[in-house]
Amino acid sequence: MAVSFLILSVLGVLLYFSLSKIVYNAIDSSLLSRAKALATLISSDNSEMEFEFSDEIMWEYNLSKSKSFFQIRRFDGFTLEKSASLKDSELPFSGKENQTEFKTIPLNGIPVRLVNFRASDEIENMAKDRGHGLIIQCAENIQNQINLLNRYRLVLSLSILFIMIISASGGFMISRKALAPVKNISKTIDKISESNLSERINVEDTPEELRILASSFNHTFDRLESAFNRQRQFTADASHELKTPLSVILSQSEIALRKNRAAEEYRDALTAITEAAMMMSQIVQKLLTLARLSTDKVELKMKDINLNEVIRESVKLLSPLAEQRGIIINISADKQSVISGDKIALLELFTNLIDNAIKYNVPGGKVDISVRKETCFIVTEIRDTGIGIPESDLDKVFDRFYRVDKSRSKESGGIGLGLSICNEIVKLHGGRIKIKSKVGEGTVVSVYLKGNGSGT
Amino acid sequence: MRILIIEDEKSLADIIKKGLEEERYAVDVAYNGEEGLFMAENEPSDLIILDIMLPVIDGMTILKKIRKAGIKTPVLMLTAKDTIMDKVSGLDSGADDYLTKPFAFEELLARMRALLRRNSEVKASIITIGDLIIDIATHEVKREEKNILLSAREYALLEYMAINRNKVLSRTALTEHLYDQDFDLDSNVIDVFINRIRNKIDRGYDTKLIHTVRGTGYILKV
Repeated sequence: MAVSFLILSVLGVLLYFSLSKIVYNAIDSSLLSRAKALATLISSDNSEMEFEFSDEIMWEYNLSKSKSFFQIRRFDGFTLEKSASLKDSELPFSGKENQTEFKTIPLNGIPVRLVNFRASDEIENMAKDRGHGLIIQCAENIQNQINLLNRYRLVLSLSILFIMIISASGGFMISRKALAPVKNISKTIDKISESNLSERINVEDTPEELRILASSFNHTFDRLESAFNRQRQFTADASHELKTPLSVILSQSEIALRKNRAAEEYRDALTAITEAAMMMSQIVQKLLTLARLSTDKVELKMKDINLNEVIRESVKLLSPLAEQRGIIINISADKQSVISGDKIALLELFTNLIDNAIKYNVPGGKVDISVRKETCFIVTEIRDTGIGIPESDLDKVFDRFYRVDKSRSKESGGIGLGLSICNEIVKLHGGRIKIKSKVGEGTVVSVYLKGNGSGT
Repeated sequence: MRILIIEDEKSLADIIKKGLEEERYAVDVAYNGEEGLFMAENEPSDLIILDIMLPVIDGMTILKKIRKAGIKTPVLMLTAKDTIMDKVSGLDSGADDYLTKPFAFEELLARMRALLRRNSEVKASIITIGDLIIDIATHEVKREEKNILLSAREYALLEYMAINRNKVLSRTALTEHLYDQDFDLDSNVIDVFINRIRNKIDRGYDTKLIHTVRGTGYILKV
């Protein structure tokens, strides 16, 4: 709007000045021709000037309310003749009039346009050498013209202003109407904050052009809200899981310090504190792993991995535990299976699964690990003779912090994150994980990973 | 006073029990909700410490069932959830107070004392019966400005009688409120302790405070 105001103003100024110029040019040329006309009526005879001013020519200058004036001076300023209309006044003369020039000057309070015409050639018999000639001053009352121009200027300004106001308010109203829905949308969006993510834009009330926009905003906020909720749930779960071992540590140390005790009692307290602290450390580790895995930008170092080797390594890591519990682990994978994967992640995956198989097993039980090829997948099956998972829990075991039974996993030191981590790792490798189980008989975990094609 | 703890985190339950017993409370522990409900219904307790997050049947349900069974014992909620919603629903379901984990043991003790006070006329932590002054917080006992030393059990008995002063307490009631369920209910033990206490706080004073109500029990009053 400022731009159009600027343009209109410039236009107005140009219009004004062009008219002004036209008006002045007309006046000036008329003054000049009058001056020249007067010049023709003058003749010189050596030092004598003769003015043949007849009444007919002079009538204009003789009117009482004449608007025309003239004054004829020598170069030195000496006035030779002047019009009756001037009465007692004189046209201003500075003595520096070397050229013909036009001026606007006040004469007795009236604005007049004046020409100082330097006449030498025009005068009959005028000596052509320097120093001989006259200044013919012609002037015209231009009050009317000035009034006209002023009026013109006023009208022009008012018109511009008027146009500006009309277009501004019109534009304003139109844009306001058009932008109202946008304003509504941004008001709704403003209400959305971290604590209030459930606001959505009412797509029905939005004009058609903006519906796509409103709709995609809503979708974005849907995604944001669920991401935030997952985050919040995660944090809540995490802090909750940590609070219990923390309580134990706090209570144990507080109570131990309440009175003097035997060294044995202090040892017991410290042992309990250590156990709780280690549990917290485990939880934190697992949480960090999980957090790392579930961000979108996980970078796995994918290489060709010998799956059998990874499994063997996991089993080796867990053999002390297996021995402690009297569990026998069998691996049957005679063919070399190569897959594309991240060695560390895969190690974590299988260690978790085999660890579960050992922990939730019966004393003297077995864990059978087999690797086979199925279409384009390498399938690793981990079968245990353990306590099994109830059918109602089977679809939930991969949920974070889900434990089938708090008491049984507590003793094994589990916090419900192991399978969630496994799930994430398998997903990142583009594979799948399946579980089958029967309570009292055992569990079979099948890991499907994309085979590399090579090596059979 | 007899306390029932319903908490499934064994390590936590056990250390709290130990700490409370050192504070002269008799403590029973239930590691799951069902057992806790059973004990609440069948064993008398002066205060129940209940964890909200319990396996199988959750704490809130247990709480509601306890109240529905008409048990008016004060309940102190232990919760790892500290949102306002959780606190409000716990209190509305019948709990008398809550503590969020992790908590300071001192705070647990103080809140317990506050809840135990509520059931009696005692409103401050100092009970005065005649010239006998018992400070429940510090376990100090004085008569005529002189400090009296009592053993843990003696103090527990005296405190219970003081909180319920001017009421006749049967031997059975006294035994039940001073010993946990592992104790063999031999009512004679109470007589022995009453005697010991009498020796310490009544002997040598003109006014006797502990009275035998034949056939019924004992009463502590001026």
